Amino acid sequence: MDKSHRGEVAIVGIGEVPSGVYPDRPCLQSALESARDAIKDSGLPHDEIDVVIPAGTFYDPWYNTNMIFSQLVEELGLTGKAKMNLQVVAGGASSSAMMETAAGLVVTGKARAVLCVHAEKWGSMPNQEMYDKLATFGISPEWEAPYGLNMNAVAALITQRYAFETGTTTEQLASVCVALRKWAELNPNAMYQKPLTLEDVLRSKLVTSPLHAFECNRLADGGSAFVVTSAERAKSLDTVPVYLLGSGSVVTHYAISQETDMSRFGYTQAADEAFEAAGLGPEDIDIAEIYDSYPVFNLIALEQIGFCKRGEAGQFVMEGHTWPGGSLPMTTNGGMLSQGHTGTGGGIAVLVEAARQLMGKGGKRQVEGARFCVETATGGTYMDAHVSVFGREVP
Amino acid sequence: MSGYKKPLPEVTPWSQPFWSAAKEHRLVFQHCPSCELNILYPKLFCPNCYSSDLQWMDASGRGEVYTFSVIHLHPPSPFRDSLPYVVAIVQLDEGVQLMTNIVRCAPEDVKCGMSVVAEFDDVTDDFTLVNFRPAAM
Repeated sequence: MDKSHRGEVAIVGIGEVPSGVYPDRPCLQSALESARDAIKDSGLPHDEIDVVIPAGTFYDPWYNTNMIFSQLVEELGLTGKAKMNLQVVAGGASSSAMMETAAGLVVTGKARAVLCVHAEKWGSMPNQEMYDKLATFGISPEWEAPYGLNMNAVAALITQRYAFETGTTTEQLASVCVALRKWAELNPNAMYQKPLTLEDVLRSKLVTSPLHAFECNRLADGGSAFVVTSAERAKSLDTVPVYLLGSGSVVTHYAISQETDMSRFGYTQAADEAFEAAGLGPEDIDIAEIYDSYPVFNLIALEQIGFCKRGEAGQFVMEGHTWPGGSLPMTTNGGMLSQGHTGTGGGIAVLVEAARQLMGKGGKRQVEGARFCVETATGGTYMDAHVSVFGREVP
Repeated sequence: MSGYKKPLPEVTPWSQPFWSAAKEHRLVFQHCPSCELNILYPKLFCPNCYSSDLQWMDASGRGEVYTFSVIHLHPPSPFRDSLPYVVAIVQLDEGVQLMTNIVRCAPEDVKCGMSVVAEFDDVTDDFTLVNFRPAAM
């Protein structure tokens, strides 16, 4: 979203169910409860939702086609009212892709209010089935699968190169997990809420070097949703609108083996675009809701967006600056490393958390006085970098 | 019938020459004469100038490890008997890069920037995979 549309659309409602392993909770229930709560939270009459955007779900292709083919429209009582049900999927970057799609539809007048919703149930999958599935996502069947690549290894390749180029230490990388857990301890929806120490992370098994078990996310069942409408419509609602002030993004590869700048990716380009549109800079930001999934992505984003100098993000996190009470609260729901990785929903939960904080609904983990927030997303094998700036006011 | 259980490459019509060359223990890449771009993985047409007139060239087989990881746990099922193994991205001297396994080397000795050379593993009668080993042995 560029400067000419700054602050024209807003998130006005959010919903979420707890993440974790919930074999007895149907995926549809997670989607419906998240959607219902987001619509109720917005204060909009439900039949004012005229576009429904379900993100992609991976655990069951049949469930996913139900999402594509308007099951939610029926369940939410929107038949004859919704103009369009369409799936938007960009893997982990579905959060940003849905937000951008919704914003475009609202700005052009195609939609009055858009419901973006997602649920996943792959946390209940048997472990080896999960490992095998994750050896196919974003991995080339011709050029990479024959060599035994999987998602943990994709992140490990990136972490290895980032550490090699920046001198970031094993302890500094592990400290990201500790920082995220500090937030998850305050998040009743998080999969992991027990305290985690640096020693716990470093003593956990080496899964794929240099990543230890606690540095690899755990797949989870979960669901989250948000409602987008125009800033004009938001004025008459009894809610705190969270305005989209600017966003930027770039796609850098499909196959990780074709990425040539693994310690930076496209975050600087995306952030420059987003800050330019918002009329703000890193110094104006109160919270960094960074898409994690593995520790290295928080460090890369902190550096490339301009919160830290190159090679200094590890020390910054290690010193506690991103913890509760720190100067730059980061990924305040605990991220995929602690809230749990709900597939395309991992990033959606981060986006919902950005809105939650700016609405002042963060509960025990509320960042007091937060006005502006940066949110990031990346999907596939970290194929893209999305940076958005949100505010509870339009500067 | 081969007992090889790991996934084999899903070949496209335009990448077949790469695998045919690999069977002959040659590592090849595409070159676009109109814009001078070296291309790997093989493309249907040049992604820079869209020319379909691409040439196959022999690579030196030399390059360096851009990055790597030693997989110890939770691999895809067909790789469970191969633990630990090293996945790596190698940048060839010709400026293109590819995913591979590093072989003939203790996993703990692999480093970013290490010089490597291609070697060929005839995994089935039909397929030869391109691995890399340390240049200095």
